[in-house]
Amino acid sequence: MKLVKQEILHKTGEGFAIMKPEEPEDMWHAYNLIRPNDLLRASAVRKVITESAGSGSRSNERVHTTLTIRVTKLDFDPQAGQLHVSGRVAEENPIVKLGGYHTLDLELQRNFTLEKSEGWDSVAIATLKEACDNDAKAQLWAVIMKEGLANICLVTDHQTILKQKIEYSLPRKRAGSTDHEKSMQKFFHTTYDSLLRHIDLANPKPLLLASPAFTAWQFQQYIKAQAAVSTDKRVKDLLPKITVAQSASGHLHSLNEVLSSPAVTSKLSDTKFARETQLVDKFFELMRHEDNRAWYGPRESEKAVEQGAVGKGGGVLLISNGLFRSQDIGVRDRWVKCVDAVREQGGEVRVLSSMHESGRRLESLGGVAVILTYPMEDLDELGEGEVEEEQPESEDEDEHGANGHSHGVEGRRDHEEDIDFL
Amino acid sequence: MQRVKNVDYDEDDLYDDDEEYGEESDDRDSEQNRSSFAELTPVVRAELEEAGVQASDKAIEDALWNSFWDVGKSVVFLKDRNAPRQTPKKQEKAKSKFDQAAERSAKETGGSSKLAKLAEERRKKAAATAAGGSSTDSELSSLDRLTKPKDSKENDAPSSVAEPRKYPIRKKREPTPPPKEPTPPPPTEPEEEKPDLRASPTAFARTLSTHPVQGRKVTAPALADLLGTEQSEDPFKGPSPDDTVLKAQQRSKGRSLSKQTEALKLDSQSTQATIRSKGLDVPKLWAEEKAKRKPAAAFVVIGHVDHGKSTLMGRLLLDAGAVSQRDVNKYQKQAAEMNKSSFALAWVMDTGDEERERGVTFDFAQHHFSTPKADFTILDAPGHRDFVPNMIGGASMADMAVLVVDANQLESGMKGQTKEHILLAKAVGLKKVVVAVNKLDAANPAWSQDLFEQVQADVRKLLLDSAFAEQDIKFVPCSGLGGANVVNAPKASSPAAWVSKAHFTLLQALERSIPPRIADQEVIRQPLRMQIVDVFRGGVTNPVSIAGRISSGSVQIGDIVTVRPSGEKATIRAIDVLDEAKDYAVAGQICSLHLSDIEAQHLRSGDLVCSLQHPVHGRRSVVLLIDVLEPLLPQPVDVHVGRLHVPATISQLVETVDGKGEQLKRRPRLLKAGQRARIKVSFEGSVPLVVGERVIVRTAGVTAAHGTVE
Repeated sequence: MKLVKQEILHKTGEGFAIMKPEEPEDMWHAYNLIRPNDLLRASAVRKVITESAGSGSRSNERVHTTLTIRVTKLDFDPQAGQLHVSGRVAEENPIVKLGGYHTLDLELQRNFTLEKSEGWDSVAIATLKEACDNDAKAQLWAVIMKEGLANICLVTDHQTILKQKIEYSLPRKRAGSTDHEKSMQKFFHTTYDSLLRHIDLANPKPLLLASPAFTAWQFQQYIKAQAAVSTDKRVKDLLPKITVAQSASGHLHSLNEVLSSPAVTSKLSDTKFARETQLVDKFFELMRHEDNRAWYGPRESEKAVEQGAVGKGGGVLLISNGLFRSQDIGVRDRWVKCVDAVREQGGEVRVLSSMHESGRRLESLGGVAVILTYPMEDLDELGEGEVEEEQPESEDEDEHGANGHSHGVEGRRDHEEDIDFL
Repeated sequence: MQRVKNVDYDEDDLYDDDEEYGEESDDRDSEQNRSSFAELTPVVRAELEEAGVQASDKAIEDALWNSFWDVGKSVVFLKDRNAPRQTPKKQEKAKSKFDQAAERSAKETGGSSKLAKLAEERRKKAAATAAGGSSTDSELSSLDRLTKPKDSKENDAPSSVAEPRKYPIRKKREPTPPPKEPTPPPPTEPEEEKPDLRASPTAFARTLSTHPVQGRKVTAPALADLLGTEQSEDPFKGPSPDDTVLKAQQRSKGRSLSKQTEALKLDSQSTQATIRSKGLDVPKLWAEEKAKRKPAAAFVVIGHVDHGKSTLMGRLLLDAGAVSQRDVNKYQKQAAEMNKSSFALAWVMDTGDEERERGVTFDFAQHHFSTPKADFTILDAPGHRDFVPNMIGGASMADMAVLVVDANQLESGMKGQTKEHILLAKAVGLKKVVVAVNKLDAANPAWSQDLFEQVQADVRKLLLDSAFAEQDIKFVPCSGLGGANVVNAPKASSPAAWVSKAHFTLLQALERSIPPRIADQEVIRQPLRMQIVDVFRGGVTNPVSIAGRISSGSVQIGDIVTVRPSGEKATIRAIDVLDEAKDYAVAGQICSLHLSDIEAQHLRSGDLVCSLQHPVHGRRSVVLLIDVLEPLLPQPVDVHVGRLHVPATISQLVETVDGKGEQLKRRPRLLKAGQRARIKVSFEGSVPLVVGERVIVRTAGVTAAHGTVE
């Protein structure tokens, strides 16, 4: 996304931004930026019916115009990368009456203007900045498979888009029958064909094949064999881009584990999702060890933040951007405040994409989790009257803060810089 | 006579091409079959003598075998076989053109096994023609033949009327496998519903559409024969290659056409006519036959990778006589070429190319063998950690477990799959376990008794920790590769002599561990449930077949079942248990069901086959009562139910409970290893689950919990 123009007052957050989406991924950002009640101005095509006064004959006409609407509803189609925004026309226009309904389909390479009704809050600005960050645009194709099942997906910085799922009923091996081998070949063939339909051979991205056992390896061999006989030379160029990895199962949620494995991270550039996956893994790891520095759930996380436990020296707030998309403005405000509080305390904030597997894992925990700088007991049972405990615990902070470093949150500072702009 | 010769010729051809037939003929000498022969041969003989025909025992047995124990058909066949002796030679000549043509086309089409099977159908048809035709009038003009199906249709009625009369008589007998009563056979075989060839103006199209759908049922003369006659009359003598191709095309077209025409003209009665349920009272039959049956059990072979599971099973099969030395020699030679000669025995179980190349079992293999005392089904599970889902599938079909432990590498397994497999075996509900302490010949010193004792102590501790009962565990010292103490006790002179003094051989231990079938009758009377483990093509006659273990209820030929979650219905066309055709199968048996009226795409392994009256409904979320092995949060997990393997999400940790299921803590934050808890799990799609079903929860390649559906 290109930021064409920005007039946002730092103090109040009022103002507007003009953006130009350049690739389908930008629609995802727009989807996270635009909230109900915002003012959106974009070019539109509208069918206008004119009725001539004399004869009463009607004529249809499609008119290109620019409309400003007050948003009521958003509809995002991840597969096609399209965003439809419905709302009521909020600015006078020669064609459409004020208050008339219209659905804007945001288009690539066409500017749109967004003005926030409640002003731009810190999360919105962070999203905007991230959306317009033009360097780190890592993308890779991944095929998570097992015998008889293949998930072809595109992994970008912010999304994991399942492009196609191939399911094949394979007969089991039995003596004297080659049906299993034959079906396996057919299965590979189908997967290979579908894969080629999706990926852009002219500009090949890294391709990750992952499966339990040898299936991915077999598939790699199959691609090699196909490339050798193929007349399309570009298939050969794809070969060096292939990475084969082990996954625990062929289901999509295994992608997480693959992306965080060192074998893969060393080959793929260190991207946002790798870092996020790492953090979620770390969180789960702490949970497993019953370390009281890891808590999840809206209530518990909020309490921890209130008490300043998610601060400097290892405090991390993991939050799914699904919470910021809530239709209920109160919910968004609540979490924006929470994020701001953590930033003030010097903690790290990670807004995880709900379209990513790591974000999905987080969603199952209620959309938000925290790694504290010091252990806290019984956050889930803490009543209002017991806040006095805060004092003795905050003494531990430095101690545990130091530990926090040794627990593998190195590189945290760099990432903080990414986030802490403004 | 010539016709019969042709039959033989084709048969030979088939044995070369098609291993399935080879297997069947091997089984022919099994004890069960021999008793059936003994039982049925006199019946056939009596029938034949009534008709004044002589036949040798061998001939009768052959006929019975070929007609799948159908006495009626055998009698007709034998009568016919003997009949042409009395007919003058001239008649043969009149038919010879047709026969030659048939023979030639059989030769032409005999190349691939698929076509060979077509030829096999043709052969059966020819036999039927012979059976029906030659005794009445062998000089049929083609026009006469066209009228014949009409006759058969007329004959259909009396035979179906005769059915109820037959039924009570056959119930008194104890058919294993149940034969049909020797009723006086009608002149032609009325089994199959035939389109009326004369009635409609599109008679030719209808003729084309006549296609033998039923492999097991002998059909009346159909198009192929008719075309054959016509073509043999033309000056070119016999079909040109083009004709053969055309014919095949027409036949394949005729198939869909025949379905259409059938749909147009047949009412519901006709579908009953294709596969008629015998209406057996299966639970009663099963109980009646109980005394005759040998004990049977399926055992799953578990253990860490490379501890010699497949090799040990190869040895067991070889020494028990279920696999011939010749086959093993062949594997030996092939394996030696790949520098893997020590894997030769494992190749008995590992049939996949990739498996052989890598020397690792991928999917569980199924093999059946019998001893004088019992029938066994081996389920040889893969030991590699990536294939644990396949191991779960195998273990869920088993009645007991054989744990193979490499005496020299106990440690690797204790940390790895030896431990996990023991847990999983317990999780799927297995109680009895035979521990084979393997590779003792490779120990240092060989057959060290101390080593065995030490391994025994360690493994016993692990098993007891996993809640196996002391009396359900048996230990067997053995060597899969060398073969000592597997089936044959080691020689007294060898260093392993101590073994035979205190320990059973593996086979003996297995025979002694067969768990009694509990509450047989009750489980059989419950509604049918069978998880599909495999969907395969059972051959030309059985394009859609499934395999699995019936967990409750019973099934018989002609039953209509429903498959969940697709909800499609299917008719049971045939049933195989232990590679033998049966009329029915009951809970606890591993069987293959050959289906009709369903497309393979509606069947997936892991689906549930249920009775039509009591289907299992799919569920999107369930509450599980689990024993936790690894810490669990609300998180995505893999849920395994036997062969079924689905992604799921733990949406809620409901509560932790104590041993009695009483609540300890509501909404725990985390489930720790060793806890017992209720969790709510939601699936992406709907999953057919029965209350009480055993479920295994895995995450990131590790077994995290096991439990039951609530």
